[in-house]
Amino acid sequence: METKLLQSSDIPKLFDNLIKSGKVIIAPITKKSGKVFFERISSYDQVEKDYIQTQFSAKSVVFPKVEELFTYKKTDTGIEITDTLSQIPEVVVWGLRPCDSSAFDYISEFFLKENPDAYFARRKELLTLITISCPKADDACFCTSVELNPGSTAGSDILLTQMGNEYYAEIITEKGKAVVESSSDLFTATEPKTKDEFLAKITYQFSLEEIKERIKTAYDNAQWKHESMGCYGCGACAFACPTCTCFDIQDESDGDEGSRKRCWDACGLSLFTKHNSGHNPRKNQTERRRQRLMHKFKYSVENLGIVSCVGCGRCIRVCPAHLNIFENILNVTKE
Amino acid sequence: MSIKNTYIPYKMRIANIVEEAPQVRTYRLEFVNPDEAKQFSFKAGQFAEYGILGEGESTFCIASSPTREGYIECTFRASGRVTKALASCEQNDIITLRGPYGNTFPIEEWYGKNIVFITGGIGLPPLRCVIWNLLDHRDKFGEISIYYGARTTKDLVYKHELEEWQNRGDINLFVTVDPGGEIPEWKGHVGFVPTIVEQNAPKSENAIAIVAGPPILIKMSMPILAKNGFENKNIFTTLENRMKCGVGKCGHCTVGKTYVCKDGPVFTYEEVLTMPAEY
Repeated sequence: METKLLQSSDIPKLFDNLIKSGKVIIAPITKKSGKVFFERISSYDQVEKDYIQTQFSAKSVVFPKVEELFTYKKTDTGIEITDTLSQIPEVVVWGLRPCDSSAFDYISEFFLKENPDAYFARRKELLTLITISCPKADDACFCTSVELNPGSTAGSDILLTQMGNEYYAEIITEKGKAVVESSSDLFTATEPKTKDEFLAKITYQFSLEEIKERIKTAYDNAQWKHESMGCYGCGACAFACPTCTCFDIQDESDGDEGSRKRCWDACGLSLFTKHNSGHNPRKNQTERRRQRLMHKFKYSVENLGIVSCVGCGRCIRVCPAHLNIFENILNVTKE
Repeated sequence: MSIKNTYIPYKMRIANIVEEAPQVRTYRLEFVNPDEAKQFSFKAGQFAEYGILGEGESTFCIASSPTREGYIECTFRASGRVTKALASCEQNDIITLRGPYGNTFPIEEWYGKNIVFITGGIGLPPLRCVIWNLLDHRDKFGEISIYYGARTTKDLVYKHELEEWQNRGDINLFVTVDPGGEIPEWKGHVGFVPTIVEQNAPKSENAIAIVAGPPILIKMSMPILAKNGFENKNIFTTLENRMKCGVGKCGHCTVGKTYVCKDGPVFTYEEVLTMPAEY
């Protein structure tokens, strides 16, 4: 892995070069609500520099909230169906956190390993991730408990860590190299450095190995009822989550034309599993909450060998019922 | 990168419509594009996503046998937005199809065995695919028994085929309606399907049982099969969880770590018992 230095004062120039490349640049911006979201930006002035975590993750660049799968048009001669794959742009995400970039490793495995998804594959192919290590954290952050840390390189093309007036750049992939090469005058070579003193301190919540072992037999744990008490079934945790991948497919029509779309869905919503007959395999909120947590820590390990929680803490921050995933997990895996 | 885009559907022409029962129709579908017809193949037990552009897609099995080439058939009840839109179609209308998806019944492993089908209502369509598949290779199998019931005589589907199966002489067919569902001229059985199975006690020796239908029918039939000596690994069923994508991505059909759409929908009862009861 190559390592370089970049002066903080040169970041706007790097940004200008990215924008001039014609790619779509997604970066954190502060909305009028005071909350920070990833959005398309056109200049570095718009970029928020002081934030712990964005409200939603960056997954929407590969798995949009609403994604048009194809458009159709009914004509006198038949039906024309046109897929939207060719409209997918090249995207650079700037300023995501290491937990989010590592989530891309999981969702890529999920979407591409078996029955690969054409839309995801195309979006991922055209995506570059420039991650910034976390200089600070809050009480919801627990990446170290899922074997990540505020300076993890997993999933990133470039990882930047601020060290005083300069940024230490770890260039992880070929896509990362391409970014550096297109602004080569801004980067200077450096020996590998230790990042620890520049990284946030994260409270350690649990031993992942212990949790993975204990959750194997947690399905019938009586604590699930207590731990899901208060869950409204609003699905906010899933929408904020960088690894949740469930979706619905719906049509939208306007006369003889329209489109088929997929949009985020959530296993916490009561209609998610409901049959038209009225039969619902996961009939109460306890079962739905259990599904969400068992998927993160058990089912995705069984299916893909990966814990699908990156400890970003968004579900904790966003939950209107103040449910806390690491407390829940600890309590349902007690003896 | 050339990954097949599974969401682009085939266009299918409705070649024939049969009114099976109140709100229940069977469509025979033919590919609009003959090249796609040549490339398409499926096996018994698989399902598809049937769609109306502008309304959406709905999941049901392929109800015709893979031994009958050139078309596929589906049988569905009009109950939701998409199935109601499907039910309002007329002959020669174009609908969409994605698939086939899912695993299959291991029919080749059943050569030489006796086969017992137990089903009710519109649980028969997924088994009809298997039944015709077996009948088209009749000499490869031992005795074939079919236990089928519906709430009333009107609700029985494939009425002409039931008559044909009755008249063949190489099938033990038990057709029943729930008590009170019969009409004066009804000559079949009266009683719930599991009761009729119990009375006739199908032999488990060298036999496979295939059970599909409403959850209550499956639940009541299992102890009867066990009493008759059927091992769980020799009992097959097809799960019908809600599905959207059909390829193990959308998450709707999961039962524990299992995706009914790609790991199923066909499971042995032995496999079903290892899953959480979320089906």
